Amino acid sequence: MSLVCEGFERQARATGRGLGFDRLPIAVMKGHVDAQSYDDMVASFVGYTLEQIVSGLTTSIDWDDEGSAEPAALDVVASGTIDEIHRTFVANGWSDGLAIIPPTRERVEAFIAVTGHDPWRVLGTIRPSGRDVTVWAIAVNAVMAGCEAVQLPVLLALAEVLLDPHYGVEHSGNTTGADALVVINGSVIDDLGFNHGPGAMRDGAGAPNTVVARWLRLFLRNVCGFTADEHDKATFGNSSRVVLAEDEGALAEIGWEPFAATFGHPAGTDAVTVARMNSGAMVGSVFGSTPEQIVPYLADGLARVTGWDLTHVCGLGQGHYSPLLVLSPVLARVFGRAGWSKAQVQQALYEHARIPAWRFEKLIGEWTNLTAGRRTLVELVGAGLVPPVFAETGDPDRLVPIVTSPDKLMIAVAGDPNRTNAYVFSNDGAHGDWTSKAIDRAYSTDLVCRVDNREACT
Amino acid sequence: MLIRPRFRAFFGSLCLSDSAKMAYMEPTFDVVWPKSPLGTQARRPAPRLDTLHGKRIGFAWDYLFRGDELFPVLAKELRTRFDGVEIVNYDVFGNLHGPREHELVAQLPAGLARHRVDAVVSGNGC
Repeated sequence: MSLVCEGFERQARATGRGLGFDRLPIAVMKGHVDAQSYDDMVASFVGYTLEQIVSGLTTSIDWDDEGSAEPAALDVVASGTIDEIHRTFVANGWSDGLAIIPPTRERVEAFIAVTGHDPWRVLGTIRPSGRDVTVWAIAVNAVMAGCEAVQLPVLLALAEVLLDPHYGVEHSGNTTGADALVVINGSVIDDLGFNHGPGAMRDGAGAPNTVVARWLRLFLRNVCGFTADEHDKATFGNSSRVVLAEDEGALAEIGWEPFAATFGHPAGTDAVTVARMNSGAMVGSVFGSTPEQIVPYLADGLARVTGWDLTHVCGLGQGHYSPLLVLSPVLARVFGRAGWSKAQVQQALYEHARIPAWRFEKLIGEWTNLTAGRRTLVELVGAGLVPPVFAETGDPDRLVPIVTSPDKLMIAVAGDPNRTNAYVFSNDGAHGDWTSKAIDRAYSTDLVCRVDNREACT
Repeated sequence: MLIRPRFRAFFGSLCLSDSAKMAYMEPTFDVVWPKSPLGTQARRPAPRLDTLHGKRIGFAWDYLFRGDELFPVLAKELRTRFDGVEIVNYDVFGNLHGPREHELVAQLPAGLARHRVDAVVSGNGC
């Protein structure tokens, strides 16, 4: 049986359902333990929660294995005008409230036919909902989002990211309300018209950037189960982020590999790379013509955007904190002109993006309680949980890094080519960890496989 | 006076109720469900215990939200209320929510069997 704070029962029951345990007993703790004195917490636990635990362990559970009464893929779940469909989808929690294109069977079928995929192929079973990820469901949500059929291979690659245990999609409704950032690389950027220039991260500045990101939110809602009724426990949440397309022309000019190469893809590969981002901050009006002049400000941005996230350096997400710096092309060229590789930039940022040890310790073990035991960095180094650089001395004012190694500092290049700005993101560590998948744009060979010919689908 | 077609449509529509206008002007759609079928099989929960007397209770912790303070309280209360209760503490199974989450959760069934655990209390979801 499981223990949860008040307000988490619905999520716990939904998670149980997704794992096949529909009737898992739950014991509830009143309020939130982090906002209670020790005495109040214990009194409430003994007086209110304890009996639920005993009962959950000893009271038999009614259980039946009756099948689901949910609609089948081709069932018509609503009929009406576009306004009526819109209202029905909002009322059922199937839409984000923006206008949708009605997903008729014919439209979804036509959407899939363009790339020839097997509509019934199951890519895997997704957490935490326990639902199958089918090409059909991907396409239904794509139609709703306003995607074009040629974007389906991008969506399939994103679905593979979500299914990869390394990504940890099940955490997408966690404490910070982080939202995914998709970085796209390859010739797919120009072929499908993704915007990598001015307004690269603005809603609507590039239609493919916007609708693919909207698909991701709809898919997380409808297939993964991230709604307030089920798995989304974000206190505030982030707005959806449009897809970030790298400026590969600028990269080629300075001799840097695309972002996807960081994850093992050869240059030129069409790929999507995804991580969940907690916070973002502007590093505006960067002034300087040499790397030495601009690194301190860029590093300051990385340090400034990093707070709670340090729990992913040691604690909750050991060694998984890996923030992102997005450079405008003109700033990337400052490094390129000086002959700096991306690794050199990472090393310089690692040396400059530092904070006092006392601040680090307060963030992970005093202002928050996410590193159990409230250990100091010296103790954590002693236990082998962080590298020695975090405890070169015991001076609380010493400066320590914000990541465990330079290669944890991600760098991408995009935006208005002639503006001297950068943007920094703090990521959510292992809770939506950097995961990259190649996009396969080859026409599928599932030619005989059609909606009406299900038995031909392999 | 000549009225352009779109104005004719506008003035004409003033004579109709909202629903009639919609029915007259709008196409309708039959739409499919945006969710997908459940891929996990429902599992029968383990039988509950007839009593906690003399049983081995395992604790599984995500190393968050004061479990290090609450599990000792739970252990003490269970031992006080039920004779012969034995506790297999959370540190035996490791941090089930940390960076080794998948690996440690996969090892959990074998660990519970090895320690002859009768029932598990897991926490804390906050």
